[in-house]
Amino acid sequence: MLNRRHFLRNTTLAVSALAAPSILRAQNNKLVINSFGGAYEEIHRRLVITPFEEMTGIKVEVVTAYSADTLSQLRAQQEAPQFDVAHFSGGLETTAALEGLLSPIEPSELRNHDQMYEFAVSGISKGVGPTYSTAVIGLLYETNQINPIPTSWNDLLREGIGEHVLVTDAASNTYGLLSLLMMNHSLGGTMDDLTPGFEFVSKLLENGAVVVSKSPEIQQNFAQGSSWMAAYAQDYAYTLTKAGLPVRFVQPQEGAAFAPITVNLVANRPNREMALKFIDLSIRAEASEGWAEALRYSPTNRTVTLSGEVAEQVVYGEEAARNLVGFDPVVISDKRADWNEEWKRLLVR
Amino acid sequence: MTGLAPPASAHLMAGALVIFTAFVMLVPLGVVIASSFSESQFLVFPPQGFSFRWYREILSSEAYLSAAWTSLKIAVIVTTFSVLVGTPTAIALAKSDTPGRATLSGLFLSPLVLPTLIFGIGLLMTMSIWLGGASIWGLIVGHLVICVPYVIRTVSAVLSRADPLLEEAARTMGANVWKKYLHVVLPQCRTGMAAGAFFAFNISFDDAVIALFVRAPGVETLPIRIYGQLEFSPDPSVAAVSTLMILVSLALVLLVDQAIGLDRMT
Amino acid sequence: MAAIDSVRAQTRQESLFLLVPGVLVLLIAFLFPVGTILITSVVDWTEDGVFVLTTSHFEKFFVDDYYLKVAWRTLRLALVITLATAIFGVPLAYIMQRAHPTLRFIILLMVILPLMTSVVIRTFGWLVVLGNGGLLATLVAPLGFTGRSAVLMHTEAGIVIAMVQVLLPFMVLTVLGVLQGIGRELEEAGRTMGAGFWQVLRVIVLPLAVPGIVSGSLIVFALSLSSFITPSLVGGVRLPVMAGSIYQSIGGSFDWPFAAAQSVLLLAATLLLIIPYARLVRTSQ
Repeated sequence: MLNRRHFLRNTTLAVSALAAPSILRAQNNKLVINSFGGAYEEIHRRLVITPFEEMTGIKVEVVTAYSADTLSQLRAQQEAPQFDVAHFSGGLETTAALEGLLSPIEPSELRNHDQMYEFAVSGISKGVGPTYSTAVIGLLYETNQINPIPTSWNDLLREGIGEHVLVTDAASNTYGLLSLLMMNHSLGGTMDDLTPGFEFVSKLLENGAVVVSKSPEIQQNFAQGSSWMAAYAQDYAYTLTKAGLPVRFVQPQEGAAFAPITVNLVANRPNREMALKFIDLSIRAEASEGWAEALRYSPTNRTVTLSGEVAEQVVYGEEAARNLVGFDPVVISDKRADWNEEWKRLLVR
Repeated sequence: MTGLAPPASAHLMAGALVIFTAFVMLVPLGVVIASSFSESQFLVFPPQGFSFRWYREILSSEAYLSAAWTSLKIAVIVTTFSVLVGTPTAIALAKSDTPGRATLSGLFLSPLVLPTLIFGIGLLMTMSIWLGGASIWGLIVGHLVICVPYVIRTVSAVLSRADPLLEEAARTMGANVWKKYLHVVLPQCRTGMAAGAFFAFNISFDDAVIALFVRAPGVETLPIRIYGQLEFSPDPSVAAVSTLMILVSLALVLLVDQAIGLDRMT
Repeated sequence: MAAIDSVRAQTRQESLFLLVPGVLVLLIAFLFPVGTILITSVVDWTEDGVFVLTTSHFEKFFVDDYYLKVAWRTLRLALVITLATAIFGVPLAYIMQRAHPTLRFIILLMVILPLMTSVVIRTFGWLVVLGNGGLLATLVAPLGFTGRSAVLMHTEAGIVIAMVQVLLPFMVLTVLGVLQGIGRELEEAGRTMGAGFWQVLRVIVLPLAVPGIVSGSLIVFALSLSSFITPSLVGGVRLPVMAGSIYQSIGGSFDWPFAAAQSVLLLAATLLLIIPYARLVRTSQ
């Protein structure tokens, strides 16, 4: 009888392995996650992945995939997703959660939950997040060319800098979209009506602004000295500063947008416990602090303490965090397709 | 015969054209190679300083090495299958009594001129709808489609020069079918198979279009890695990897030339 | 007679047997995916998972100025690219035919090498050459071209140059093949009969090379219609082409049926060109 049971079990295993490779993977004691490649991924390993592996003895398989790719893969593999944990930057997690691709999390399931700012965990009951750090979108400027220091989004229209302004593609780049929304917001526009924002960009284009879609192009343009001002992220300004470029970030008086970077629990996966442990580790103060120190992402964990230069170069503390403008990701994911269509038409030559 | 030589003006124009073409063809590759020895952290031109730091960087980067390994594995599998599939096809197409030869040959070679993009999208949709998502095998199949025609072409090219009498003789001498293929037909195909294999390897190793669409989690090929770096954080390490890949391509092109002669690849 | 018949039947059998793997690959990896695209482009999925036939995805393309503009740019660029490859490729093929074998090999190598290099690398090279402060801008700066005028990045001219680099070998090799078939005798006869060099080129060589030029042009045109990585990286977001628009529909707006419809249109445009090409090649053989 023992033999027969053995045989049966083995056959079932074999069949289920054929039918759903993910089951096999789960039994291999392995967690599959995505990360964003390059320096980001290295720091990700140092702050979260390696500590997790050491703590649990579970191997983490890291797939380099940016947000949009990750979303399309989750969609394609809806029934049997390969990811356990998905990281998103810039709003796609809401889309994924609405489509049921991500699993809700109870506050009690995360030990570090109470240390987080409210906005960082407000979506977890719907499957969004938590937000483990955040990028801030404001103005980047070239310190040798731009004087006085810009204080408003309107400074992008400043006399004589037309050709030296960079606009980031809002259709393919989330920071570009948030920039557009911020311009719109600063001119009194709402999420229901982006006309002021579109008109503003159209003026920038008339003045000769260059449109780029990828952050390296921004780097290249600043490095070659052909660009003097751009709407983009604070962490990226730090990348440029670190590389020796005379570039600084400023939070305009009308406010700066924040772009949450989230760690999400993928739905329909068998190893929820393990994944939750990973997420918990991602939001602990040490990790949040590490992100700020290494890449100047603003912390979302209230208990983080920063000092000196780092504290100045991120949005730090409850007071400062209050000046951030958040745009409702549900509305964004709802309207983004339409905005993209209008944006494409605005840009096309 | 001197009277028949082209006039000096023609020589001059020919020289100018060749130099200009060389410029357009090779300069982009040249700058990539030059940038790879740059010391600076940016991809600016002209490159600043001279160092091997980016080569050291890529050779110690796990991400690049594993991408190279993935590409290599895929390319070897694709090459093997391409030769296994392409050679018999070419032999059949070379036989005058194969029914529907012209149509078949058009069909078999059509992936050469049809948009690669279409295969990428088609495979992505097929696999997502029926097979539950992309996998490394999808990528291999996709590469197979664009590589097999090259093998068919190179093998056909040598077969068109081959001596049909040999096969005839083998048959009349009573060699059985297997022996005939093993000892008469295949040896004739050898150089074509080799050239086809080099092409197939190169195409699979370099492909970015199909890989961009049919990308399974955890499967990152070298070109995709480069594409990602270009999009998100280009530094001279991309140039260093690219330089190594250019050298691989150059070697393969020279091997093709050794096997059957480059100008037969029209 | 019976013996011959049986031999013939046997070789036929052999042929069919040899064709099996190729046909399988063609079916699984080519016809099936293309079929999937065709189906996806004409169906709509309703809420309850039922699907209905529709032409709406195609309508979306044709009623929209934006997509017509994109299609028109794609066609226009393909035309210019084809012309440019012909202008450079045809004389180059002729030079190769007449050149010393060593020089000929060198030209051949330099024409083929870019083709055999990964598209991402080539394009990366162009980014460095054409970009802001790139090689070209540095070279022309002393001539007084500075600022935006020296940058071909994000221009159609930039796309054309980068595409010519990739597609030139198709033109050169096709024309070279035809020229070699002609041989030098006719040309020499023309010269001995007193015709000038240029006259011989115009009256004898060029007309005879026409089939090669035509088929080379068709290949180049077809390939430039569907090129995607080079135009999107060199051209940037403000100069979209069809292949880029398809990619955007797949990865950006997740509208797969629309992506399929655009793919079908692209495929149809290519086939319109390829089928006459195949005929041409067959008759010339």
